[in-house]
Amino acid sequence: MPAQRHAVIVAAALGACFLLYAVFGVAKASNEWRLMDIVGEGGTALVALAWTLVVLTSRPGGRVTRLLALGLGAIMLGSWADCLDEFYRIDKAALWDNALEALVPAGMAVLTAGLFFWRQEQVRLTEHLQKRERLFRQHRAFDKVTQLADAAYLREQLRREQAAHPQGQCALVLLDIDRFHAINREHGHAEGDRVLQAVSHMLLLNLRNDDLLCRYAGDRFAVLMPGLDEVAARAVALHLCGMVERMRHHAGAVRVPLTLRHGCAGASAAQTDGAGGVDAVLADLARRIDTAAA
Amino acid sequence: MIAWRLAGDATIPAQLQPAQMLDYARSRDADDAALLRGTGLAESMPAGLPAPGTLVAPEGVLRLLANTLRALDSPDTSFMLGQQLLPGHDGALSHALLQAPSLRHALETICAWHARLTPLLRPRLQVWSEDEGEGGGQAGVALVWTDSYGAHGLRAALVEMHMTAVVALCRWLGGSRLPWRFCFNRAAPRHVEQHEVHLGGELRFGCHLDAMLIDAHWLDAPWPRGSALGAALALRTVAAEGAPAPGLLAALYDYLLERVRAGPTLEQTAADFGVSPATLKRHLQRHGTHFQAELDQVRTHVALWLFHARRAGNEQVAQYLGFHDSANFRRSFKRWTGQTPALLRAALGAAGAVVQ
Repeated sequence: MPAQRHAVIVAAALGACFLLYAVFGVAKASNEWRLMDIVGEGGTALVALAWTLVVLTSRPGGRVTRLLALGLGAIMLGSWADCLDEFYRIDKAALWDNALEALVPAGMAVLTAGLFFWRQEQVRLTEHLQKRERLFRQHRAFDKVTQLADAAYLREQLRREQAAHPQGQCALVLLDIDRFHAINREHGHAEGDRVLQAVSHMLLLNLRNDDLLCRYAGDRFAVLMPGLDEVAARAVALHLCGMVERMRHHAGAVRVPLTLRHGCAGASAAQTDGAGGVDAVLADLARRIDTAAA
Repeated sequence: MIAWRLAGDATIPAQLQPAQMLDYARSRDADDAALLRGTGLAESMPAGLPAPGTLVAPEGVLRLLANTLRALDSPDTSFMLGQQLLPGHDGALSHALLQAPSLRHALETICAWHARLTPLLRPRLQVWSEDEGEGGGQAGVALVWTDSYGAHGLRAALVEMHMTAVVALCRWLGGSRLPWRFCFNRAAPRHVEQHEVHLGGELRFGCHLDAMLIDAHWLDAPWPRGSALGAALALRTVAAEGAPAPGLLAALYDYLLERVRAGPTLEQTAADFGVSPATLKRHLQRHGTHFQAELDQVRTHVALWLFHARRAGNEQVAQYLGFHDSANFRRSFKRWTGQTPALLRAALGAAGAVVQ
C-alpha cells in the first residue's frame, strides 16, 4: 500500500527529528516555553503534514506529485524542528539544527518548482480535452447508457453554433428507432440498452468530426450538423438510416431488425429566429417525427 | 359508509409495483441499501425479492420511488418506470388488460381496478359526446390523474410515470402510437424532451390538472390482439378477488365530485367517512393537504371540464357549482388557480384546437 508507506516515512522522519533533539539537546524548563512560537511553528508543521497527505492520496504518482509532496514534506519537517527548538536547548556550536530549520525555505523552492510543472501539465491536459471535444464532442457524457451528451447540451451547442456563425448554415436531424418499445417489451430493457449502444456506435462512425450526436431522450437521437442545409442533412439522414438498417443486431440468438425514421430541419440562426427559437424548432421537429410514425 | 385507506396502512403487495421499481433500479446499478432505506421492505427480502404476501404501505412505496429517483439521478427514470408499469404482474387482472379489445375497454379496466393497478394515483375516465355542449364541442375522452395518498414532491414524477404507462400499454396493444394530448398541472420542465419522446409532442403545461386527452373515435377501434371473451373471463376472476379500498384522497375526491353541487362540508364528510371531523382533519394533514384544498381542487376540475367539454361560459359554470353569480365564481376561480377563467379557457381552447 503506497499510502501506508508514505505515512510510515513521514512518521519516521518526524520521530527521528524528535529523537535528535531529545538526545543532543537539553530540555528547557516549562517557564522558558514561548507559547506563541510553539503554537505557530507546531501549527505550520501540522498543516503541512495534512497537505502532504492530501497531495499523496489525491494525485497519481509522477514528477509533479513527487515535487509537491517533497516540498510540503520539507516545510513540515523544518517547522517541526523549529517547534522542537522551543522545548530543547541545542549547543550553539552544533550546525545540524540550523540545517534542519533551513528545510523550510528549501521546501518552498521545491514546492514552487512542483507548482510550475503542475501548471504545464494542466495546460497539456486542457489541450488534450479540447481535441477530444472537437473529434467526438462527447466528453460531457451525461447519458450512462450511450455515453452521449443530452438534449440540454444539444440546445447549448446549437445556440453557440448560431452565435459563432450567424450567417452560416446549420441543420438538425432527429432519429427514432422503429418499434423500440416493442424490443423493450419482448427482450427486456437490458436488450433495449444494447440496441441504443449499437445504434449510437453506428451513427458515430458515419458522422463528420464537426457533427454532434446526442441522445435526445429515450430512443431518439439528435444530430447537429453545422455547415449543412436541410437538403444536405436529409441526404446524410437517409444514409444513416441505411447504415443502421444494414446492421445485424442479435438479442441472444434472435435477429432483431433495426430501422430508423428521421426528421430534418434547418437550424441556422435566421431559421430558428423565424420559428420562435431553438426550443420551438426542436418541439416542432419532435411533433413531425411523431406524425411520421403514426 | 365509505371505504378508504391511509398512506400508512400496508395494502400494496410488495411483489407488484414495488418489485418492478426495485428491479429497474437494480438493473441501473443502484445500491440496495440506498433503495430500501425507510421503505419498511428491507426486513422482508429473502433472496433479494420481496417474500410472497408481503404488503407495503403506500408511504413506503413513495419512499422507494423517492430513493430510486435519487439513486439513479437521471431525467428518464420516471418514464422508464412507467414503460413497464402496465399491464403489470397482477395475475388475472394483468391478463385482462393484455386482452383488452379496445382503448375504451383498457381504460375502463384501469379505472375500475386502479387500487390494484395504479395504487398511488387515481385515474378517472371522462367521455363526452359531440352534442353534449350547447356550442357543439368535439366528442372527446379525458383520463384525469389525481393523487391517492399525498405524494407531495413526487407528484410530477408519478404523473409522468402513470401517463407513460398508459401511453406505452395502448401503443403496444393497439399496435400504433395514439395521438394523445397532455395537460400538466406544473410549469414546463427542463427535460421536456423526455415528455416528447415517451409521451408525445402535444404537451401543455400550467393547466391546473393532469390529464391526457384523445378524440372519442379512438375509443372503439378494435385492437389487433384483443379478445373480448378472454378479457371478460379474466375480469370475472378479478371481480372474485376484489380490490383493496382506495386511498383517502382518492376516496375523498370521488365523494366530493359526487356532491360538488351541494356544497359538501367537513362535518358531513367526516360522518360519511366514519370518523370525527378532528380525525379527518388530522388524516388530511398527514397527507399534506386539507379539506378546503381538496374541495377547491374538485371544483376547479369540474369547472375546467365544463369549459372544455361543454364549452360552457362563466355564467353556466357558476350556476352549476352553486355560486350566486358569475362575478363570485370568477373571484373564487382566481383564488383556486391564480388565473381568471377566461385566461385558462383560452389556454384549454388552444389545446382543443390542436385536435384538428
